[in-house]
Parts: sequence; C-alpha cells; structure tokens
Amino acid sequence: MENIWIKLFYALMSMLLIFNYGMLLAGVVLKIVARVHGRFGPPVWQPYVNLLKVLSVRSAISHGIMFYLGPVFRLAGGIGLFLFMPVVFGSVWLQNFSFSGDLLLVIYFIFFGQLGMALGAAESGHPYSPMGIMRGLAQVSVSEVPFALAVIAIAAQHGTMSITEIVAAQQGGFLHWNMVTNPVATLAGMMAFLGMMMNSPFDLHLAPQEIPVGPPTEYHSTFLGFMQANRAFFASAKLILFMNLFFGGATNIPILVLKTFLLYMVSVFVGVVNPRFKLEDSLRWFIKIPTVTGIIAVLIYTF
Amino acid sequence: MKPIWNDTQEYDLKSGKYVKIWQGPQHPGVTGNMSLELLLEGDEIKWLKTHVGYLHRGFEKLMERRKFINCFPIVCRICVPEPDTNEYLFAAATEELSGIEIPERAKWIRALNLEMARLAATIMGLGGQAASFGLGTIGQWAVAHRDFLLDSFEELTGGRIYHMYMIPGGVRYDIPEGFAGRLEKTLVKIEKLISDIDKVMFNNAVFKSRAKGLGIIPKDWIEPFGITGTTARGSGVNYDVRKDHPYLVYDRLDFEVNVGTDGDVYERSLIRKEESLLSIRLIRQILSKMPKTGPVRTFIPDILHWKIPAGETYLKAESGRGEYGYYMVTDGSEYPRRVHVKGASYTHAMALLEKLGEGVTNADIFGLMVSLQTCPPEIER
Repeated sequence: MENIWIKLFYALMSMLLIFNYGMLLAGVVLKIVARVHGRFGPPVWQPYVNLLKVLSVRSAISHGIMFYLGPVFRLAGGIGLFLFMPVVFGSVWLQNFSFSGDLLLVIYFIFFGQLGMALGAAESGHPYSPMGIMRGLAQVSVSEVPFALAVIAIAAQHGTMSITEIVAAQQGGFLHWNMVTNPVATLAGMMAFLGMMMNSPFDLHLAPQEIPVGPPTEYHSTFLGFMQANRAFFASAKLILFMNLFFGGATNIPILVLKTFLLYMVSVFVGVVNPRFKLEDSLRWFIKIPTVTGIIAVLIYTF
Repeated sequence: MKPIWNDTQEYDLKSGKYVKIWQGPQHPGVTGNMSLELLLEGDEIKWLKTHVGYLHRGFEKLMERRKFINCFPIVCRICVPEPDTNEYLFAAATEELSGIEIPERAKWIRALNLEMARLAATIMGLGGQAASFGLGTIGQWAVAHRDFLLDSFEELTGGRIYHMYMIPGGVRYDIPEGFAGRLEKTLVKIEKLISDIDKVMFNNAVFKSRAKGLGIIPKDWIEPFGITGTTARGSGVNYDVRKDHPYLVYDRLDFEVNVGTDGDVYERSLIRKEESLLSIRLIRQILSKMPKTGPVRTFIPDILHWKIPAGETYLKAESGRGEYGYYMVTDGSEYPRRVHVKGASYTHAMALLEKLGEGVTNADIFGLMVSLQTCPPEIER
C-alpha cells in the first residue's frame, strides 16, 4: 500500500496547483469578457487582489452557526469534488484519491457544497438570500438530471463507474473520445455543463439586476474569501470532470490547461451574448431539451 | 390601493404566504433614486407601490429665487441622461416671454443639440433594457458609444453631461471647425452598434421570450394615463411633438415617426432602436440643411439685471422619454415667479408602473421599469 503521507502531500500539491489555476483562469475570463464588452478589464491577477482584500477584513456580524458553516461546506464541496478525480491521466502526483466508484461520489459533491451554502445563506435572514437559494437549487437540480443521464450513458458504454477507467478507455487518439464515440451523451452533458457553470443565461441565482447577488448578499470578509477560493476550486474541478468524461482527459498539464480553458470558453461565450432566463423558462428548457437528449443517450446504450 | 397589513384583509403578511420587500433606492435594477415596495407571493408581484422623494431638491422652488440665467445649472440637472430638453425649454420660455427672436442658425444648432442628446439617451436606454434582462454586453457597448457622443458634446459645448449651451438668445458658441466630419465618424460607429444590437439583442431567443408579452399597454390607456413618447408610440399612437407641434426647425426636416402595435417591452425597445436611427438621419439632415454662416446668438440685456415682462407661457418638446413641458410665469421682476416642469416619467414611472407591475414576476419588474423610461429627478423636480 502506498504511503498515505505521500498521497496527502501529492493531494496538497495538486490543490495548490488547481487553486492557482482556478484563480488565474478567473482573471483571464474577466479580461476576455471585458474585451467582448469593449473594455480593457482588470489585470489577470485581480482575483488574488480581491481575495486578499476580503481576507483582510474583519467581521463584526453573526447570523448564527449555519451562517458560519455555509462557506465552509461550500469550500468543502469544491475541494471534495476535486480530490476524488484524477487530474492528469497517468501522472503519479495528480491522481488525487480517485477510486473505482468515484463517479458517484463526485456527482454527490457537486450538490453538497450548494446545499451547505443554501443552509448558511438562509440563516442570514436577507430576503434576497432565500430567493437566490430557491433559484439556485432549482437550477442545479434540473441541470443535474441531464448530467446524471449523460453519466449513466457513459458508464453503461464503458461498463465502469471509475473516472480513471473512463479516461483510460478514451486514450489512443481523438476518435476514441466520448465526444466522438458517444455524441448524444456528450451533448446532454454539455448542455448540463452550461447550467452548472451558472453563467448567463443560467445565472439566475445571482441575477444582479433582480435579486442583487442572491445567497451571498449578507456574506462579507473571510466568508466571502472562502467562497472566492471555492470558486477557483469548484470551477476548475467541474472543467476537469467534463474533460475527463467527454474529451479524453489530459495526459499532461499543458493539455489539461488547453482543454479546460476551451471548455470554459464555451460557457463564457454563451454567457456574454445571452440575457438571463427566467427560472420557469430555464427549468422548462432543461426538461425539454437536455433531459430528453440524456434519455435518448441512455436508451441507446440500454437497447 | 389594496390593504396589505391586517389580519383580516387580503394580503396578510403574518400568514407566511407573502413577503414584502423594498427594492431601491440603491438597487442595480432600479433606474435612479426611487424605490419599489413589492408584495410577493413566490416570485409573483401581487401588489406594487412606487416611492419617490429620495432626490427631492426642489428644482422648481430653487428657480424662484434665482435670476433667469442662474437657473440654467439647475434645469439641466432635472434629467441626467438627456438634460438638453430642459435647457431648450427654459431658454425658449424666457425668450417667448421677453419677446426675443433667436437667429436662424441658432435654431438649427439647437435642433442638432437636441437630436444628439436624444441619440445619446436612446442608445443608453437600449443598453439599459438589455442589461435589465442580464445581457450586460449591450449595456457596455451602449455606454461606450454614448461616450463617443459625449466627446462631441464636449467639443461643441464644453461640457460632457450638463451642457448649459442653449441660453436665452441662441446658443453659447458656434460649431467648431471640422465638427461635422468628426460627428459623422461617431454616427457611423453608432450605426454599426445598432446593427450589432439588432443581431445580439432583438434576434436573441431569450430576450424575445422575456420581452414579448411583458407589460402590454393597451391603446386605450394612453390618454387616461397621459402616456407619451416611445411608450405611447409602441402601443400604436402616432404622436410626436416634433411632428404634431413642430418647434425650432422640425417642420423643415423630412422624417416619419415610428409607430408600433404590440405595446409590450419588446415593441417599445424596437421603437427606441428605430428612434436612434431616426436621430442619426435627422442629425445628418440638420448638418446638411443648416445655414453655413450667420450669428448664433442675438442681443439680450444685461443678464444679471434682466427683467422679463409679466406673463405666462407653456412650451413643450419631444424628449427621448416623451413629451416634456415647461410652464413659466413671470411678474416683471428679475426672477421667474413660477416654473413648472412636466416630464414623461411623472406618469410613466408611478401610476402606470404600479398598474403594469401587478402580476409580473420579480425577475421582470426591472425590465418593465426600464422600458417605461423612468427618470426619477423629473418626477420630483
């Protein structure tokens, strides 16, 4: 058995890598969106400045225990999702704690952080928080359905619930990627991906013009710092998950960066040219198109 | 008005079924300093009340204690996005009461100034409309292009936002050398912007799904509610002060008013886009038809000791938001006896919004508010 301390050290190193990658990715996205808007935008290190700023602010307000725990659950969800996925296929130190049933666990972790956050934000007592929670949970729940269907189709295709084995099955060239071998599941998964990334038209939970920033309205200082850190982990982890499931995974860090960046750009570019859905329209869209696509993907591998 | 706080009445807040929230005066969706008191059942607005008063500086009362020329820094602040209509109407009212006829070239320059201001306001309005539904990209593009127009305003008047350019007797300065060419370059950029807005906003399925059918104003509401401008024209009423009661040189310009049919947010936005294109065409016409030389200001008495004979007048003009009116009374002294300002927002943003808001969702109320072109300072003046 491999020494657990070495594995922990590798996990810490990979967390450090992915946290910085997530922060820089957020900075690059800010810059790209600004260019689409016709602005110069902030420097790419702006997320670091924001994080340091909120971490340096002291809090004098408490809304109760759950209010404190919300950001902790949120961050735990992001880190948990990341730590049970292989980051780079074949790498010793970027394997994390992936195991044979990790696909089920990561689906759970995608939802876990948001549930914790919902409990914490709801205790803040601000009316925009429950409104945002209601919107966010409804959105996540409905986008998880096509994602779960796509995952079932992929698992059925490869006969495994291990992400590492799914990535292994896609090695050997572009034509082995699930994007090519299982395009219907990939389509359902990518539509779910748009909802899970929560950029426009699916940014219902924050909706600055409607319920200004929703759940985190009352969060400030270190609480907000936790959430910003989670954003780096969670966004990167989701990108890695989708890369592993549908786009052949990555065999080295440059490929990882390239693929996850391009994946992120799908969500970003859809976001900058679309207004926000209303909640009922978003739910209707997910039930009508991605879910039906996901069902077709499952049926293809069932019969 | 329906009662909301009573155990026995229709909306009992203690039942836990409803929630009452205040949106504004500091809220990213509210246009300016006013607030909406909303009673929600789930996401649906059951009852809505508008609250103004956060910006009340008493513009009208302040003018009664200021000499005519000293009122100009006040009147322009009644509407930030389009202050020029106020400047024009105040100047025109003083001229009418004192019997001053302004030079021909000044009339053309004033019309140019008004159309530039309308264009700046309408493109910013389009950006605001898109942003209210979460399409911030259009908002950024629109604000950037408005800035190009503000550059032109700076060159023409010396000011970017508040110009104080139209003064009694004409305009402050003549048009700078080469101004028309530089303005034309900006107009070309704005035409390109409107073409992009057409593709990204008006052909977007999500925008259509949100704006179509929202906030429909039936044609028979127009008169009872006193609705004017693009809001009225969106509901099929062909009324535009520039056409129906021409002022300055509008009777010498060739243009048709854009009229819609559906009366919803989408239609009003579409009319606003057409208004932007109309303003561009009018600016080009004005620049080509205006006299190339001539005075831009006529003689007026010493402005600090200028006494205007007793009288009263009401003048109106078409602003980007609708009909704008100035009622001025003078008593022969150096001060206006009474100035009353009628802006389009007074009717659009209060009674009409309260009526239209009931039954829409919390997500839609700001898109609806922006479509009515609300500008709180002209409500409170």
